Amino acid sequence: MKKNKITRALLGAGALTLMSLSPAQAQDADGASIIRERCTACHIDSGDADKPFSRISEQRKTPEGWMMTISRMQKLRGAVIPADEKRALVKYLADNQGLAPAETEGLRYVLEKEPNVLESFDPLIQETCVRCHSGARIALQRRTEEEWKWLVHFHMGQQPTAELHAGARDRDWFGIALNQVAPKLGQDYALNTQQWSQWQAATKQPLNGSWAMSGFLPQKGNFNADVVVTQTDKDHYELTLNGQYEDGSKLSGSGKAVVYTGYEWRASVTVDGVKMRQVLAASADGKTLTGRMFERDADVMGGPVTAVKANAITKISPSYIKQGERKLITISGNQLKGSVALGSGVKVIRVESRDNNHLTVLVEASRSAAVGSRNVQVGKTSSKAALAVYDQLARVEITPVESIARVGGGGGLIPKQKSWYRAVGYAAGQDGKPGTADDLRLGYMPATWSLKPFDEIAEHDDDIRYAGTIDSRGIFTPGDAGPNPDRKMSTNNVGNLAVVGTVQDGQQTVSAQTHLLVTVQKFVQALID
Amino acid sequence: MKHLKSFNKKAKMLDRTVSPEQVEDVVAMQSIVGCTSVNDPGWEVDPFGGLGSLCQPMEADLYGCADACWWPAQVPDTMSSHPNWSQDVVKADEDWRKLDSIFPEE
Repeated sequence: MKKNKITRALLGAGALTLMSLSPAQAQDADGASIIRERCTACHIDSGDADKPFSRISEQRKTPEGWMMTISRMQKLRGAVIPADEKRALVKYLADNQGLAPAETEGLRYVLEKEPNVLESFDPLIQETCVRCHSGARIALQRRTEEEWKWLVHFHMGQQPTAELHAGARDRDWFGIALNQVAPKLGQDYALNTQQWSQWQAATKQPLNGSWAMSGFLPQKGNFNADVVVTQTDKDHYELTLNGQYEDGSKLSGSGKAVVYTGYEWRASVTVDGVKMRQVLAASADGKTLTGRMFERDADVMGGPVTAVKANAITKISPSYIKQGERKLITISGNQLKGSVALGSGVKVIRVESRDNNHLTVLVEASRSAAVGSRNVQVGKTSSKAALAVYDQLARVEITPVESIARVGGGGGLIPKQKSWYRAVGYAAGQDGKPGTADDLRLGYMPATWSLKPFDEIAEHDDDIRYAGTIDSRGIFTPGDAGPNPDRKMSTNNVGNLAVVGTVQDGQQTVSAQTHLLVTVQKFVQALID
Repeated sequence: MKHLKSFNKKAKMLDRTVSPEQVEDVVAMQSIVGCTSVNDPGWEVDPFGGLGSLCQPMEADLYGCADACWWPAQVPDTMSSHPNWSQDVVKADEDWRKLDSIFPEE
């Protein structure tokens, strides 16, 4: 149990944290020779330069994907690979058999551990693979058709009841998986692609230098930080963060990063005493990093971040102003020099404060300013449609649109999995009707939070009393794990709830709700769900 | 069937579904990353998008999920991959606090 606790701390939110601690010599280790030394008891060294190792050479994956594969070989197949060689091997395989940036587009949420993502994949894949895995886990792999077929065989051997599950036992699951799904995967997610050839040929940019980062963390809200990145070895970096949250409190941190496949930034950082991870992707020009930063031991608790090295605007906060309103607006970015322009009908009264990367300006929208979005400009730098001028708040949406939290704690070993919410405001737009295509998105707005039963059953079972609580920041903490003798049949502290967010805008009060299912814990933790 | 009256909550919910296809449609929409959509009866969520048809408390039948490899991404399968996961805990409903997650990436 003690060992598992340590493992949770190290690996629970991402084993690649360890990568950043690798000694410089590890990256120089020859991956191919490690494979020959450690893997060829089972895999064949073919002597064919195009695919030197059976199975291994017929797949491409993310760094996390390779980490999972090698770990499985150690755990289930008896592979003996020392930690430093494992780090070197993941790096070698991700660099030489990784995914091109374009091949991960739209799927990065699963690497970034973004919570409450709703997926929808092709029905054939949905019914065969996505019953247990995320669709992104499949779509972030590239294999030959034969290799996809081997994967079907693996599942039948390792988990033979797969064809007896609901959604499988009413059909020829194995036949469909082997003869329909595998060929489709071989086509949709083929080993050899133009995107990968092009990325292999592309020049990879070093990521050292001074960056301006903007982001959001659920406990503290928006933040900005100056990030200084120093290269310690090829693809290995150290970084420091210094900045502040929107409430004025300071933020500081430091850590290490490794870059895989020429663009996959994985950093472990300590920010104000909290261990965190960054899963970011570098742009091809090496001037933008985007992704998510989250707590190592509670990956739900994190949010989106963007860092820029070139002159750019990264965030406007708040991103809305009402007709006739006067308020402070903060513009964040990198090397923001020159005068501020906020578009027609929005006047800068004065600049309250400014440094290279931040500006706080007092602005006023005229009563007759047209409803709509404006470009924000600082000197020659502009951000499109970054500020919305509105007449009145017409509706609110609560994100995420579907959510789960998991009971935990209560003296048990598995921690609670929280969830958190934000309110997005909209104006009605030209047609004056909320809920139509021309609604104007205003951005995230401060809200008050409450819970209510989602349906009659939840009301009858008194879920609201047991399932958990929500705080003023919109963070929901679920109830304790374990059977609860106070509930009928000693049921767990699960619950079917609605999360209600209420935005007060002047004299107006607008509410909306979203669905929250408080459910049981997961006993399997995976780098990629 | 028309002379039979639904007695419990699960049966009433089943009555409300029009057809098996409708159940599949509901299931297909419930794909939150990290949750299984194998809904017989379901781990996180039941076939109707709620909790009423789940086995509760979960600990009472936990090993029935583990040894049958029923939700291998949620519950360690003690059939093949993790045979020792629960070996020190005879009764999950009494000693659930001793059960930990497994970390395949270890």
